Amino acid sequence: MTSTDAETTIRQLQKQNRILAKQLKRSEADRAKLEDFNRDKESILKRIICELQESQSVLEKKGQDLEQTLHELTLTQSKLVEAEKMAALGALVAGVAHEINTPIGTSITLASTLGDETKDLVKAMAQGSLKRSRFQNYLKVAQNCAALLFINLDRAGQLVQSFKQVAVDQSSLEQRTFLVKPYLMEIITSLSPHFKNTYHQIDLVGDDTITLNSYPGAIAQIVTNLVTNSLTHAYGDGDHGHITLEVCAKEHYILLRYKDDGGGISEQNLSKIFEPFFTTARNRGGTGLGLHIIYNLVTQNLQGQISVSSQPDQGTQFDIKLPVHLKKN
Amino acid sequence: MLKIAVGHSNDPDSLEAAQEVLEQCNQDLAGQAPQVGLLLTAFDFEHSIILEQINATFPDLQLIGGTTDGELSSVLEFQQDSVTLMLLASDEVEFQTGVARHVSQNPVELTRQAVVNAQAQLSSDPKFCIAIPESLTASGDDILQGLQTALGATVPILGGATADQAEMKCTYQFFNQEVLQDAVPFLLVGGNVVFSYGVASGWTPIGKRSQITKADKNTIYEIDGKPALDFYHYYINNFVPSAAYPLAVFPAGEDRFFLRGSLTHDPEIGSITVSGDIPTDATVQITEASLDAIISASKAALTDALKHYPGKQPDAALFFSCSWRRYILGTRTKEEYQEISTSLDSNLPICGFYTFGELAPLRDGGPTVFHNTTFTTLLLGTP
Ligand SMILES: Nc1ncnc2c1ncn2[C@@H]1O[C@H](COP(=O)(O)OP(=O)(O)OP(=O)(O)O)[C@@H](O)[C@H]1O
Ligand SMILES: [Mg+2]
Repeated sequence: MTSTDAETTIRQLQKQNRILAKQLKRSEADRAKLEDFNRDKESILKRIICELQESQSVLEKKGQDLEQTLHELTLTQSKLVEAEKMAALGALVAGVAHEINTPIGTSITLASTLGDETKDLVKAMAQGSLKRSRFQNYLKVAQNCAALLFINLDRAGQLVQSFKQVAVDQSSLEQRTFLVKPYLMEIITSLSPHFKNTYHQIDLVGDDTITLNSYPGAIAQIVTNLVTNSLTHAYGDGDHGHITLEVCAKEHYILLRYKDDGGGISEQNLSKIFEPFFTTARNRGGTGLGLHIIYNLVTQNLQGQISVSSQPDQGTQFDIKLPVHLKKN
Repeated sequence: MLKIAVGHSNDPDSLEAAQEVLEQCNQDLAGQAPQVGLLLTAFDFEHSIILEQINATFPDLQLIGGTTDGELSSVLEFQQDSVTLMLLASDEVEFQTGVARHVSQNPVELTRQAVVNAQAQLSSDPKFCIAIPESLTASGDDILQGLQTALGATVPILGGATADQAEMKCTYQFFNQEVLQDAVPFLLVGGNVVFSYGVASGWTPIGKRSQITKADKNTIYEIDGKPALDFYHYYINNFVPSAAYPLAVFPAGEDRFFLRGSLTHDPEIGSITVSGDIPTDATVQITEASLDAIISASKAALTDALKHYPGKQPDAALFFSCSWRRYILGTRTKEEYQEISTSLDSNLPICGFYTFGELAPLRDGGPTVFHNTTFTTLLLGTP
C-alpha cells in the first residue's frame, strides 16, 4: 500500500466515523420522539375507546326511545285507520240513503196515486154513478201501481241486502287453513248455473298444494263477485268468453290472478271502479258495490292488496296478493 | 433542453460535504453552466462554508434554499444530517430568484414587493413559483397571500417551509451567498417549461367533533367553551400538545378538513398556537395516522402529479414532505422514498426535504394553500 493509498483510506474511514457518530446521536433523538409519539397514540386510543363506549350507550338509549316512538306511532296509525273507516262508513250510509230514496220516493208517489184513485172510486160507488168503463180503468191503474210498487220496493230491498254485505259481519267469517285450489274449484262449481245458456268457459290453474290460513268465506265472495262482473260487464250476448283463475305461491305471499278476455274498462272508469256506487249498469240493476266489497275484503279482512289492469277490448285482470298467515289484530 | 444535476452528501463535516456535493454535480453537468440552484441542508452545518464553496465553483449561480428536517435525493435517497444540491441549466427555461427579508415586520407586503421586483427581471410571465419560506417567525398564510397577490391567483406556488430538526427554535434560509432568518427566498420559473403537482396527507380524524369557541389568527383559546389545552389533555393525558397529532379543522358547513399542528402553547391561559390560521366557527377533531396510510398518501400525491403531467416525461422531481410524517414513519421513512421512487425513472434527478409546512394549491387553478402533514410533489421539464 502506497502512502497516498493509505491517506485516502484513512480519509474515507474518518468520514465514515463522522457519519456514524452523527447518525447515532440523531437516532437517539428520533427514538425519543417516536416513544413520545407512541405514548400519545396509546393515550388517544384509550380515550377514543371510552368515547365509543359512551356513544354506544347513548345509541342504545336512542334505540329504546325510537322503539317507544315507533310503538306510539303504530297506535296513532291504527287509530287513524279506524277514523278513516268510520268516515268511509259515513259516506257509504249517505250513499245508501240516497240510493234507497229513489225507489222509496217512487213507491210513496205510487201509493198515494193508488189511494187517490181508490177514494174517487169509493165516492162514485156511493153516489151510484160508477160506470163499467171507469171501473175497468181503475183496475188497470191499480195493477200498474202494484207492479211498479213491487219493482221499486224490491230494488230497495236489494240495496239493503248489498249494504249488509259491505259491512261484512266479521264474526260470521270463519278463519282456517285450507288448500286454495280445491277450494276455488268448489266455488266455480257452485257458480255453474250462471254459465248455463252461455258459451263462456272458466279455467282454474296453479299448484294444488298451496295452502292459506285465512277466511275462505271472503275468498268465495270475492270470486263470485268477479265472475258475476265478467258475465254482466265484460261480454255481450253470444260471446265465447274465456276466464282464467290462477293461483301461485310467491316468496312472501300467494297471488290470485283473475283474468277475462272481455270488453275491458276505459282508462277514465278504471280509477273509479273500487269506489262505492260507481257503476255503468245502473239501468240494469247495478249498484256499484261489488268491487267496493271486494276491495274491503281483500285489504281489511284478508290483509292483502288488489290491483287491476285493463284496456278497452283487451280484457280485464285483477291481481290479488294475500299473506300466507294473517296477523292477529 | 433542461439539464438537471443533483449532489448529496451525508458527511457531517461542512467543507467535506460541500466538496462532495459539488463534485457529483460537476460530473452530471458535464461542463454546462447552471443558472440556478436549490440547496437543502440539515441544521447542524456551518452553512456559510457550504455557500462559499458553491459560490467559488459557480460564481454566477442564483441560489435559494434552507434548513430542513431531513433531506431526500436520487443520490442518497432519504438522509438526515446531510446536504443536497440541485442545479438547473437551460437555454429555453427562464429562472429568476428573489428574496423577501425581515418578513415578520409585514409579511404580506414585503413578500409581494419582492416578487414584483423579481418579475421585472423576467422576459415572460412566470409559470410557477418555488418558495422556501421561514416557518417560525411569520404566518405561512400571510406569506402566501403576499406571494399570490403579486403572482396572480392562477400561478401556483410550490415548496416547503424551512425546518430545524424538530427543535422549533430557529430556521435558516439561503439566498445566493447569504444565510438568512425571517426571510422568504423564491424562484420564478418561466419560458418553455411544463410542470404538474400532487398533494395528499393520510391523516384521519377520530374522536368527538368539537366547536372552536374562541380563536384569533393561528391561536386557539377555547374549544367547546373550555381552554383549548384541555382538549389536547383530554386525549393525551397531561403531556404537551403533539404536532404529530394535528387537529382536523372543518370550516363551518364544510365536510372536508385541513390539518393544523400545535407549534407552541401557553399553559397559563390554556391556549394553543397552531401551524396556520383557523377560520371562525370551525369545528375540530383530533387526528391519527397509520404508517400505511401515510405511505399510500405519498404514492397518491405522486400518481396524481404523473397523471396530470402535460409533457412526455418529467426531467426532475421535487418532494416537499411534512416533518411530522418523518417522525411517525421512523425507520420506515427510507421505505417511503423507495416505494414512491419505483414509479419514477431510475435516472430521474430527485431532490426534496422534510418541511415545517408545504405549499401547493388544493386543486388546479385554485389558490395555493399552506398545508401541514402533506406530501407534495412537483414534476417539471420541457415539453
Ligand atoms: N270484468 C269486467 N269487465 C268490464 N267492466 C267491469 C268488469 N268488472 C267491473 N267492471 C266495471 O266496473 C263497474 C263497477 O263494478 P262493481 O262490481 O263495483 O259494480 P256493478 O257490477 O256495476 O254493480 P254491483 O256489483 O253492485 O251489482 C261496473 O259497473 C263496470 O263498469
Ligand atoms: Mg258487480
